[in-house]
Amino acid sequence: MVKWLGVAGVLFSPLILADPVLVTGGTFEPPVLLDKQRLSIEMNSFMLDATPVTNQAYLEFVSSNPRWQRDNIAALFHDGNYLKHWDNNTAFAQGKENEPVTYVSWFTAREYCAAQGGRLPSLNEWEYASMQYRQQQNISDNDYARKLFAWYSQPHSKQQTVNPNADQLMHMHDRVNEWVDDYQLLLSNGDDVDLLSGSCGDGARFMSSFTNANYATFFRYQSRSDYAPQSTTSTMGFRCAYDLENHDE
Amino acid sequence: MKTLSLSIISASLLAAMASVSAPATATDMKLKHDSEYVIDGKIYGLPEAKVYREEYNGPAVVGDYLTSVPHLAKLDYEGNKTHDVRMDVFSQQVEVAPGVSYSAWTFGGSVPGPVLHVREGDRVIFKMKNRSDEDVVITKPVKNGAPFFQQIQDNPYQKNQPVINPMPHSMDFHSGTVAAEDKWRTISPGETIEFEWIANYPGTYMYHCGTSSVLMHTAMGQYGAVVVSPKDGYPTDSDVDHEYVLVQSEHYLEEAAEGNYIYNHGAALDRKPSHVTFNGHVAALSDTPLRANEGDRVRLHVLNAGPSGTSSFHVIGAIFDRIWYEGDPRNEWYGMQTVLLGASNSATMDFIVPEEGIYKLVDHEFADAELGAAGALIAGPRQQK
Repeated sequence: MVKWLGVAGVLFSPLILADPVLVTGGTFEPPVLLDKQRLSIEMNSFMLDATPVTNQAYLEFVSSNPRWQRDNIAALFHDGNYLKHWDNNTAFAQGKENEPVTYVSWFTAREYCAAQGGRLPSLNEWEYASMQYRQQQNISDNDYARKLFAWYSQPHSKQQTVNPNADQLMHMHDRVNEWVDDYQLLLSNGDDVDLLSGSCGDGARFMSSFTNANYATFFRYQSRSDYAPQSTTSTMGFRCAYDLENHDE
Repeated sequence: MKTLSLSIISASLLAAMASVSAPATATDMKLKHDSEYVIDGKIYGLPEAKVYREEYNGPAVVGDYLTSVPHLAKLDYEGNKTHDVRMDVFSQQVEVAPGVSYSAWTFGGSVPGPVLHVREGDRVIFKMKNRSDEDVVITKPVKNGAPFFQQIQDNPYQKNQPVINPMPHSMDFHSGTVAAEDKWRTISPGETIEFEWIANYPGTYMYHCGTSSVLMHTAMGQYGAVVVSPKDGYPTDSDVDHEYVLVQSEHYLEEAAEGNYIYNHGAALDRKPSHVTFNGHVAALSDTPLRANEGDRVRLHVLNAGPSGTSSFHVIGAIFDRIWYEGDPRNEWYGMQTVLLGASNSATMDFIVPEEGIYKLVDHEFADAELGAAGALIAGPRQQK
């Protein structure tokens, strides 16, 4: 723990790029019980990008990794719409530099993060960070739920810019839905995968309490888990996580 | 003795008829796939759904028997038929009350979605592409589209406008009897699902998106009606002058910006709708009332799509002469003032228009009527028949 705090001090100093930011470990009580036997989870500290990855950052990635450019990517890794909103392999419309990159598949998001020395956050890491963000920003449970359902039901505000130099977590709930490493939801029943989690309206068995906030969170888990790893849409983006050891080096 | 011989003769006649009709029935059933089998004259065991990607940007609703509410296509064929039906899923800005529009999730671009009319025993080959991540326009002339489009364009009361809102979706036809985790499975934007179902039972059935949260997906607008006419009809078919489809539903909206509304999940869980509508708009059946004449027999197929409320359906000034609950001719009732429909229940009901005048259609749960569940049928003077 002492070592991590030291790392945090270094990372928050102005000499270092502001993002990613430290998410301090602690106890996570998952709003959605993926495993009904685990009501709380001890989380390690980790680093997480402050904002979703931008078009500009992604452009730098594909510029130095041509095989992940739109015309070169293996068909296996996307659904045919990869970066379809860009003008070509290495250009997008002016003014979109700081918008979250979208039309990226789970495969390509993973590849991007690996190239940065990171990885996609796990679902628990992302949700744990989301909880911390709500506390930091003092977002009430009801405001969070309304904001999230509004985002899902109202597409107009999705392509807004982010501040790529943010020094704290931002835009966890109002820009894009984000890929996580283990996004394909496998609700478990003891040792068994729950077979009914895909059917109508039976989410209640997996909720720790029936608050609007938990319904909103469950909807994020569930709607994302229906995507294929090849899926690319105008609303799926991502941010990367980093193990502290890597950043210590 | 004479009686006995007669009964023996009739029994053997019956047996002969049975032995003749058994193979004929099997042929008539038109089993198509090796997996299929028949129980009580109904076909089960349909093949697995296919999910694939296709380049398709044609009409989002395809099929001769798909209409917009309150219209019902006429079945202009004898016996049974295989229907090739497409109903794509995509987002659309729709108006549900004057000045109240929201970005709906839809089948075919309207709320409720298109009405499909088939006959008991018909086979439906259904295709649906998830086009929620593209603009789909339904208010301009469409080549090779269903009659649905012309009807929407003649009366675009929801002011349908394309919007993009990618989301996984699925299709659950209550009129089908299948393994839900196969046929009703969820598909991502860009994917197409194709499966078959047989209209084994007559009646008016709901279809809806079954993707979690099913409350949100249905409240966002993903539902509609399939009318399966009985193979031998209803007893009053030859006397019916007008036939209409009504779909009641609740909407749970709150204002996000002026005139722009968003879904309110808390209100949906609390069952506190902002609007309750017939055919998706508080004024759908008052701006364009149903029409008939004095002395006519009017038939309504009423579906309560919910998602969570009930409907106590009533016509002010009329009594339902015959009611077939869920639309099955064996579920026959007579002389009802009000028909209670739970979420996804339906009824087919006839009434006689007693005099020239205005007949209000209401959900007699008056809180719902005050929130919009009201419309009208206007009756002209009696016509010579």
